[in-house]
Amino acid sequence: MALKNLRGRVAFIFEQVDFDVDQIVGVKNIKITDVEELAKVAMQEYDLDFAAQVRPGDLLVGAGNFGYGHPHYPPMKAMRHLGITGVIAESFSPGYWRGEVSMGFPQVSCPGILGFVRRWDEVEVDWAAGVVRNHSQGTEIPFESLPQADAEMIEAGGLVPFLKRQAAQQHEQKEHAHVRSGS
Amino acid sequence: MGYTITEKILARAAGLPSVRAGQDIKAKPDFVLAYDFPGYTDVYFKTMKEDFGIERVAEPERFGIFIDHMVPTATAKEEELHINTRTWCAENNVPLFERRGIGHQVSAEVGYATPGAFVVHFDGHVSQLGTFGTLAIGLRRNVMEAFVSDTVSIRVPHTVRVNLHGTLRPGVMARDVFHHLVRTLGPSSCRFQVLEIGGPAVAAMSTEGLQTITGLAMFTGALTAIVNPDPVRLDYALPRARKKLDPVTSDPDAQYSAVHDIDLSQLEPIVVVPPTPADTRDLTEFLGLEINAGYLGSCASGRLEDMRAAARVLSGRQVKSGVSLHIVPTSQELMAAAAREGLIATLVEAGAFVSSPSCDYCFGRIATMTANQRAVSTGTLNVRGRMGSPDSEIYLCNAAVVAASAIEGRIADPRPYL
Repeated sequence: MALKNLRGRVAFIFEQVDFDVDQIVGVKNIKITDVEELAKVAMQEYDLDFAAQVRPGDLLVGAGNFGYGHPHYPPMKAMRHLGITGVIAESFSPGYWRGEVSMGFPQVSCPGILGFVRRWDEVEVDWAAGVVRNHSQGTEIPFESLPQADAEMIEAGGLVPFLKRQAAQQHEQKEHAHVRSGS
Repeated sequence: MGYTITEKILARAAGLPSVRAGQDIKAKPDFVLAYDFPGYTDVYFKTMKEDFGIERVAEPERFGIFIDHMVPTATAKEEELHINTRTWCAENNVPLFERRGIGHQVSAEVGYATPGAFVVHFDGHVSQLGTFGTLAIGLRRNVMEAFVSDTVSIRVPHTVRVNLHGTLRPGVMARDVFHHLVRTLGPSSCRFQVLEIGGPAVAAMSTEGLQTITGLAMFTGALTAIVNPDPVRLDYALPRARKKLDPVTSDPDAQYSAVHDIDLSQLEPIVVVPPTPADTRDLTEFLGLEINAGYLGSCASGRLEDMRAAARVLSGRQVKSGVSLHIVPTSQELMAAAAREGLIATLVEAGAFVSSPSCDYCFGRIATMTANQRAVSTGTLNVRGRMGSPDSEIYLCNAAVVAASAIEGRIADPRPYL
C-alpha cells in the first residue's frame, strides 16, 4: 500500500522559526478536550476568519524547527477537525514530529518551502515522486523522504493501527516459519 | 571508517553486525521505562490488554515503572491512577519505584543506566542516562511499540560531537554549559541526531553535571545525548548495572555530522528567558528583575552540587520576605546525602521550603504561580503556563542564581555571595 497524496490549499504559513504549536490554541486553552471547543479557539491570535476560510484538504506550512518547545496534542487535533490534512515545514522538532506522526497526521520536511508557496496556493504532496507541487505557480520542490516506520504509521492511520498491522505480519511470518520447519 | 557509540549500541540491539546512521532498523530495547501519567501508562496497559491481548509482559526485568508525578497525590483520581499502576506492576512482576525520587535520576541509582544499553521511555529527559554511556531515547507515544512488541522501529541517528575544554569559573555551572550549547549551536542544531559530549574536560566534570547537560538535550533538537563512559562513570554504573553488557565507546575515526569545541573557562552564567528554551541570554542583562518565587529541583538539577551551591550562597543569610523558595532534591538518595552533609539544615535555616522528591513543582502542579508572577528556576522548561498561569514567567538559571535571587527578591548574580 502506498501513501495517498495530499492536495489542498496553503491555509496558513507560520513564518516563525522554532514555532511553539501550543500558540495555535493558546496555552490557556491547552487543557480543553472537546474538539469543537478547541476548533473555536484555534488560530484566534493569527486570523479570526481562519475557521470560516479553511476547507477540508488544506495544508499548513511552517518554518524551521516547527514544533519546538513542549508541544501538546490539542492544537493539531483542532486543526484536523477544521479539515487540515498535513503540515509542510522547512524542518521539524523531533518531539512534535513523533507525536503527530503517531496520530497518523502527515508531516513533510521540505527545506525551501517558505519561499516556494504563498498563502492559498494550491499544493500537492506527491509521496512517490518525493516532491511538493505548487499547482498555482506550476513549480515543484523535493522533500526529505520519511523514515520507513513513519511512512507506515501515517499510511496505517496512526500508532495503534500500525502496531496491529506489524503484529499481524510478525504472526504471519512465524506461522510461515512454523509450516516450513514442519514440512 | 569507525562507528559512533550510538551505532554500536543500536547494532547490538538490532541483532546486526553493524548499522550506520540513516538506516531504518528494528531494535530491541534492553530496558523500557515509564512514569505513570494519565494518557500514557494507563493507555499502554489498557491497549496491551484490549488491542493486543497481552495479559503479561514476557520479560518483566526489561521494564521499570516510576511513580514520581502526583507525589503526594492531591485528589482521589490521582491515587486511582497510582493504584492502577501498582496493580499492573504487581501482576506483571515489573519493578516499580515509588517515592524514590524523580525516575530519570532513580533509573541511574537502580541500574537501568547500564553502560552500552539501549533504553526507551516516552519522556525525552531520560536522555540523562547517556552520562553513563547508555543510549536512552524518549519516543513520546511511540514507546507503546516497546510495550506491545519486543522491538521499536527507528532510524539510526547521526551524531553531533561536542568537545568540552577547560574548567568552569566560580558561579558557572553545568546548566550554563547546556544553555550555552543551545545559544552557540542553536535550538535545532542536533535535530533528530544524538548529541555526543566528549573532550578533555569531561574526565574532571561531575557525574551530576553531566546528568544535567545530557538530560536537557532535547532543547538542541537532539533525540538524546551520550557520553563515552570513562572510569568515573563506570565506577558508578557497573556495580549497579541490571544487565551484563560490555561498555562501548565511539571509535576515534567515527563519523560525525558536526564537531564543535567549547571552552568552558569562557562561560558566564546564563538565564533562559520565557517563553522559550531557545532564548538564552547573559545573566547580567536581567539583573534586578523582580521575582516572586524560586525553584531548585527537577530531573535536570536538584542534585548535591546544586544544593551545595545554594547552601554556599544562602549560608547565614535569609530568603527575602515574600519570596517563596522551593528546594526539592531529585531523589531520596540525594536528599539523605544532603542531610548527612548538613545542607538541608543550612537551606531550611535560610528560609527555604525543602520538600521530598517529586516532579510536581516543575510543571506547576504544586507551588502554582498566578498571573504576573515570576520565578527563577532550575526546572526543565520555561514555556508559557509551565508553572501555573499562562501569564506567569519562568527564568531558567543555575542553582546559585536561584539562591542569590531568593535572597534579593530579584534576579541576582551569585558570585558576590560565593
